Amino acid sequence: MTADPLLVRFWGTRGVVPVASTAREVRAKIANALVVARGASIASFEDAARFIDEELDFAATATYGGATSCVEIESGDDAFFVCDMGSGLQQFGREAMGLCRRGRPAKFNVFLSHMHWDHIMGFPSFLPAQDDASTIIIHSCHPDAEDALRRQQDEIFSAVPFEAMAATISFVAVRPGEEIEVDGLRVTAMQQDHPHGSFGYRFGDAAGRSVVYSTDSEHRIDDMAREDAFTAFFREADLVICDTMYSLAASNMAKEDRGHSSNLVAIDLCREAGARRLALFHHDPFHDDEAIQRMHEDSIRYEKLTRGGFPLDVLCAYDGLEILL
Amino acid sequence: MEVTYGLSPEAVIVAPVGRVDEATWEKFGAHLSRGVEEAASQSRPTMIIDLSGIEYMSSRGLRALTVAKQEGVGAGVSVRLAAPNDIMREILAISRYDRLFAVDETVPFAEGGGA
Repeated sequence: MTADPLLVRFWGTRGVVPVASTAREVRAKIANALVVARGASIASFEDAARFIDEELDFAATATYGGATSCVEIESGDDAFFVCDMGSGLQQFGREAMGLCRRGRPAKFNVFLSHMHWDHIMGFPSFLPAQDDASTIIIHSCHPDAEDALRRQQDEIFSAVPFEAMAATISFVAVRPGEEIEVDGLRVTAMQQDHPHGSFGYRFGDAAGRSVVYSTDSEHRIDDMAREDAFTAFFREADLVICDTMYSLAASNMAKEDRGHSSNLVAIDLCREAGARRLALFHHDPFHDDEAIQRMHEDSIRYEKLTRGGFPLDVLCAYDGLEILL
Repeated sequence: MEVTYGLSPEAVIVAPVGRVDEATWEKFGAHLSRGVEEAASQSRPTMIIDLSGIEYMSSRGLRALTVAKQEGVGAGVSVRLAAPNDIMREILAISRYDRLFAVDETVPFAEGGGA
């Protein structure tokens, strides 16, 4: 019997606040591409697509996107699994509604890292929440998760109160360190260092594949011994999705206490853990596509410079990226 | 990890040798703390970390540099880096530590140094 594929789909990869490319930025990308393409023989869409793939880098032709944290873990065709409900949840909801209309069960297992706004702001416009055929189960280690979601839809902030959502919505308290089984996936949570606390989640399927979602997690310079616990949590994961919002220098100087981490710490933790892939995640909203691409290139170079054993595949998450494990 | 300590009229010079990684960062950090204490007790305003013997440094080693810098601020000792090899120079750039620390091409104040 063949196991169901385990697919990770990124709907929102930005931190703090949603951002969008401006008309000027898109125009600049097109103009630069046309200049590079001068003299090339491009007679069809396929020719153009090939030229883009072979001659231009990611930031020149695409965008990392600007929706905030939302990551889907697809395991089979039954219940949906979603980590966080940032603004990326809106697009996920539209796609999911289409699948549900074609017969997929409208059951949504949500895992909340924490309730800062960029991680819950997608919920009021989540279409399945407005459908009485949907069942939404919100797993959280925070006892005040429900209160935060209700307050987000107070009349002063939102035209649609939480009580008006038609779906059947329930909350499940998760205890860090205790493995639970949810619709075929084994899930364990781990406490992280972040204002008001945040929690990472490790998901494992029956075929032995595993994904770790660890965002909004600060690794302090005066508590590096605690990183052994993260190494254990990331142990031999097929994919670790890590908060890499800042450079190492920024994370432990100017941005200390903001509750975020760096690309270099994420690489070292994954390597110590023997993880196979790292996805850089929770991008700084002040970074444009070129800056994020530079951080990705720097990260790949650092991994190579400090590699001791087998290589770690360092990916950079973008809105729309799918990773098949 | 082997470390030598030097003393010039202007600075304490700490010269570690080897790799600074998950296995060695704690000793490396302890040596840097000792260097800051030494500089303060010897009334030297500067501690130079001679990186010429360092093969490479992981994030824990880099963060030990930050701790030393903070300890130096408390003790009135400025911390400078010197003589990184090509790999270390690249790591300092990637981590943006070349913006946190003054980085000298050669070891200043040392015999035959570039200051």
